[in-house]
Amino acid sequence: MPTLIIDGKEISVQPGATIMEAARLLGVYIPHFCYHPQLSIAGNCRMCLVEVEKMPRPVVSCAMPVSEGMVVKTDSDMVRKGRQAVMEFLLINHPLDCPVCDQGGECTLQDLAMKYGPDRSRYHEHKRHERDYDLGPLLETEMNRCIHCTRCIRFTDEVAGAPEMGAVYRGDHMQVGPYTSRPLTSELTGNLAELCPVGALNNKPFHFQARGWELKNSDGICAHCAVGCHQRVDHLNNEVKRVMSRRCPEINQTWLCDKGRFAYDGLTRERLQQPMVRSEESNQLVPASWAVALDRAADLLKRFKPEEVAGLASESGQGAEELYAFQEFLRHVVGTPHLDHRLRQRDFSADEVPLTRADLSMNTPLSQLGKADVILLIGFEPRYETPLLNLRLRQATLAGARAFAVHPRQLQHNLANLTQLVVRPGDEVAFLDGLLQELGSSDGHRSALAEAWQKAKQPVLLLGNYAIHHPQAEAIRRCAVALLERVGALSTQWNGFNRVAGRGNAAAAQDLGVVPHRDPGYRRLERHGRNAQQILQGAANGEIRLLLLLGCDPSIEAVDTSLARTALAKSVVIYIGAQQTPAAEMAAVVLPGLANGERPATLTNLEGRAQRSDMAVMGPVQAKEDWRILRSLSDRFAKPLPYNTREALQARMAAADHRYALDGLEAGELSAACDHKPVTAGLPLATVATSKDGLLLVVEPPFFQDDAIARRSTILAQLTLGRSALGTLRINPEDAGKANIGDGQRVRMICGERNVECIASLDANVPAQVVFGDMGQRAALLQDLCDWDGGFPQVSLVGL
Amino acid sequence: MTKIVYKHIHLENSHTLAVYKSAGGYQALEKALTLSGDDIIDEVKRSGIRGRGGAGFPAGLKWSFIPKDDRAKYLVCNADEGEPGTCKDRDILRYVPHQLIEGMIIAGYAVRAERGYIYIRGEFYREAERVQAAIDEAYAAGYLGDNVMGRGVRFDLAVHRGGGAYVCGEETGLIESLEGKKGQPRLKPPFPANIGLYGGPTVINNVETLTSVPDIILNGGAWYSSLGVDKSTGTKVFAVSGHVNKPGNYEVELGIPLKVLLEEYAGGIRGGWDNLKGVIPGGASSPVLTKTVCETVTMDYDAISKAGSMLGSGAVIVLDRSVCIVRAIARLSRFYRHESCGQCSPCREGTGWLSQIMQRIEQGKGVREDIDLLLSVAGNIQGKTICALGDAAAMPVVGAIRAFREEFEYHVEHGRCMVA
Repeated sequence: MPTLIIDGKEISVQPGATIMEAARLLGVYIPHFCYHPQLSIAGNCRMCLVEVEKMPRPVVSCAMPVSEGMVVKTDSDMVRKGRQAVMEFLLINHPLDCPVCDQGGECTLQDLAMKYGPDRSRYHEHKRHERDYDLGPLLETEMNRCIHCTRCIRFTDEVAGAPEMGAVYRGDHMQVGPYTSRPLTSELTGNLAELCPVGALNNKPFHFQARGWELKNSDGICAHCAVGCHQRVDHLNNEVKRVMSRRCPEINQTWLCDKGRFAYDGLTRERLQQPMVRSEESNQLVPASWAVALDRAADLLKRFKPEEVAGLASESGQGAEELYAFQEFLRHVVGTPHLDHRLRQRDFSADEVPLTRADLSMNTPLSQLGKADVILLIGFEPRYETPLLNLRLRQATLAGARAFAVHPRQLQHNLANLTQLVVRPGDEVAFLDGLLQELGSSDGHRSALAEAWQKAKQPVLLLGNYAIHHPQAEAIRRCAVALLERVGALSTQWNGFNRVAGRGNAAAAQDLGVVPHRDPGYRRLERHGRNAQQILQGAANGEIRLLLLLGCDPSIEAVDTSLARTALAKSVVIYIGAQQTPAAEMAAVVLPGLANGERPATLTNLEGRAQRSDMAVMGPVQAKEDWRILRSLSDRFAKPLPYNTREALQARMAAADHRYALDGLEAGELSAACDHKPVTAGLPLATVATSKDGLLLVVEPPFFQDDAIARRSTILAQLTLGRSALGTLRINPEDAGKANIGDGQRVRMICGERNVECIASLDANVPAQVVFGDMGQRAALLQDLCDWDGGFPQVSLVGL
Repeated sequence: MTKIVYKHIHLENSHTLAVYKSAGGYQALEKALTLSGDDIIDEVKRSGIRGRGGAGFPAGLKWSFIPKDDRAKYLVCNADEGEPGTCKDRDILRYVPHQLIEGMIIAGYAVRAERGYIYIRGEFYREAERVQAAIDEAYAAGYLGDNVMGRGVRFDLAVHRGGGAYVCGEETGLIESLEGKKGQPRLKPPFPANIGLYGGPTVINNVETLTSVPDIILNGGAWYSSLGVDKSTGTKVFAVSGHVNKPGNYEVELGIPLKVLLEEYAGGIRGGWDNLKGVIPGGASSPVLTKTVCETVTMDYDAISKAGSMLGSGAVIVLDRSVCIVRAIARLSRFYRHESCGQCSPCREGTGWLSQIMQRIEQGKGVREDIDLLLSVAGNIQGKTICALGDAAAMPVVGAIRAFREEFEYHVEHGRCMVA
């Protein structure tokens, strides 16, 4: 390890490290613009010049590797003069319009100009004028301010894998911008605004909204998917103005996806402002005081036998505290075993098996994913389910890993080395069983996947949304475990089993027992309650009389929405939640809760790390934290919930599951990831089911609209993912041709006695004889055609 | 006087294999293949030949930097002759392409490179055709390919035409361009000898350097170093242009007095020696020498460098008294502004700034402070850029002001030129 001296301080670093990296380790700041620890080295701004003894010229510290015995000065006369020269060059064509620049006050160029810039200009020529670009709804450009550091170019090329930015022309005519005049399509575009050291690429929704120094900020954890990225929420006058990333090497490095960054504007839309009860005279919801509303709710709850009451919660949008209080309220205050959060799940057979936490979450930490050599994605589209996890997979493939995807259609991806295996919905288990048999047999021709899997040293397997919510999810999971066991990848050294439950805080809902068969801390119950499917079926046929909903709307989210609507209509509904939804409109009592960002919350990510997110802004005046609502409600029962403060609740939560003992574990520190071994429990593959004939419908959650806040964001509503418009039915062009259906045509989709009208769009990524639609689109609720027991619905299309 | 690279160009059809062979061509290759690679490198080191492209780095030393590992190695010939005033390589490509090819095979064998590229500037269209024809002949005759001269040595050679960017004459810019990327110089370290073309160890030499190699092998390094003077051995082609009676390419031994080169070879200055104003001795980027210096200076690396300029590529641009030095330098500055790749801040912004000030002065809109501003801006560019283009843009400005400050002052004071 070479040892060098920087400003009189000695340090030993890895061979090949640069002077900049060594200085950062020492805490010595070297001014820079183009250098970024997560990007390749460009060395073009020349601001990080340092003096190295025995070298005649200043050297750029970001690019110069250290050598033994180097003596570096970062603030000598030579260095200062060099930086002053570079600073002047950077400023001569810069418009110096800091007073009207969004970056003003948090601009590297401005800060360093204060230190190294001249106080007046010697430049008397015409300043360069550059054109601006329309980069889409997220970025505002002011290219006159560009200092050509190429961070944006390197980011889009190297990290985002969407090489949409570049530099054209040469010399002082060089222009940074998109090659085409089309908006950027990456799901990571917002990072460009944060990455740009000057005000050339700006956060468009934030444009002219506030000055950096006016903003207050709080440390948040993103709850829009389960990766749990660290973010800084900037707010002013109780309004979120902007979301920035916070560095966390283990999770999001320094990035955020556009969903996490821009969903905030949905926070204040369609909110429940005050408690409401259904008036007996008018049968309308009318505002009421908290006391009246809570009394009415308690009366209703007591009117039915405990077994006639059931609870459904949405994992995304709730903190661990809320989820814990919810299950405790139902189990111990009301006394019913019927509660669940898995409205999207179709296969509940695993409830009979004692699954551990390792079966339900990721076992390969995010920071290790980059080391994988073979990646198998089963029913997982990482780019649009968990974008920051996808970056780790992309890093692995760039480093040489091979990736395979088993999916019902072509993935939209940016992995370097991906082989796509399109498997017809329903045939997945047969496919995986075939793969297992290929691995078992010693002779014969093997598929590329079997070949690669057999040789893999550090394979990872990731089950995504489609696999988790598959009608044969448990069989798929067991095949996955068996595949890993076959190559010894379930050891403590390398555990490659990853179930990527992608919705925010899904892991907490499992950990804290918002399921009918387990208590918090994975203690199995003797007596199982009804699962989500059985609850809704029970409500529809009168066995369940009252539904307590926590932030969830089964009429949009459930697998079978027409069943859910019947269930809601036939039962008494108490709705606790932040947003107005159709379910709230059907409720007897509505109790307004708070959303993420309006209260401190504990959020558990897909690796199983529990993290505390701070409060950023206050919610509606009358709204309360959901756990406090449950606490107040419990006062009206014989056994109230035994906590009055958040701290007491957290202590109780920690007693139930030690992973939630977060004393002193604030955002900086991370709790451990999983360390169990997944359960195999044999392979019930004697009867391998195969798919049905005909046209099958697959309903997928749309990435930018997958939770209550994101669904209401007008910023995200403008993003398209580079595919057809939201809510349309995607169909293979050949199938459409045969059925005489054109792009954009209205069609009626029929399944048995049910039917739905929607708009068709032709999509070459879709295989023949399968159609894809978006989940939860109120305009065309495709889940109306699904039911829990029938697997993937077999549909027919009629052009209108 | 001994000639090396131009010794065959007077022969009719000197570009054909038949004529080249009849004049003794490919004998050096035959000899080289009996030697080991290290012996060849030692011989080249002994010859003392320095890179003829401009930087003057000892060629043998450059070859010896190539690591002896298993990675694929590359030999690249820099024929992107773009330095204003330089046209020496063009005649080699036109008239003796086989001598270059022979030199490249020897060099490739010495550094164990099995693949060579000749990067020819885009404007040299006919030259590229000729070189390609010569390569085809050499393949047919078994000098190139899997089995060079039946000795089991492999060497493939290909021509690549550039797109017309000056900066692609910079060796790492050339590599980027050759790889199909935008021609922008790379950061050094790593140097091409370790990580160059396609990430492999790469030797890049100028056309003239490689064309000298066959004679060095045939006659020995000692013979070569007996030519020229100490530390500037061998012969060099000077491309004399400007106000001389017989402009042209002259191959002479290094160390020849500049006055002899101009008076005896180039036919004298237009209007006689006393009409001389100054000489740019080594291509556009080298500072101009005044007449007083030209009286005594000799054409070798050290003497020119002592006189405050560079031997560079050997493009001798002669300026007589009719030349407005401000206008000449303003034109050069515009050239460098146009050719800056735009990658690093000092060069991107600095070359534009210099050019704009020079233009202003030339148009009579300058002020006295502009002269010192020029010096300051030039000084701020120098030594802070990724490649040498920034220095190349700064040096002629600084040199001209140092040598002819009164002309600049006259321009800003009178708003017009000192010379009619």
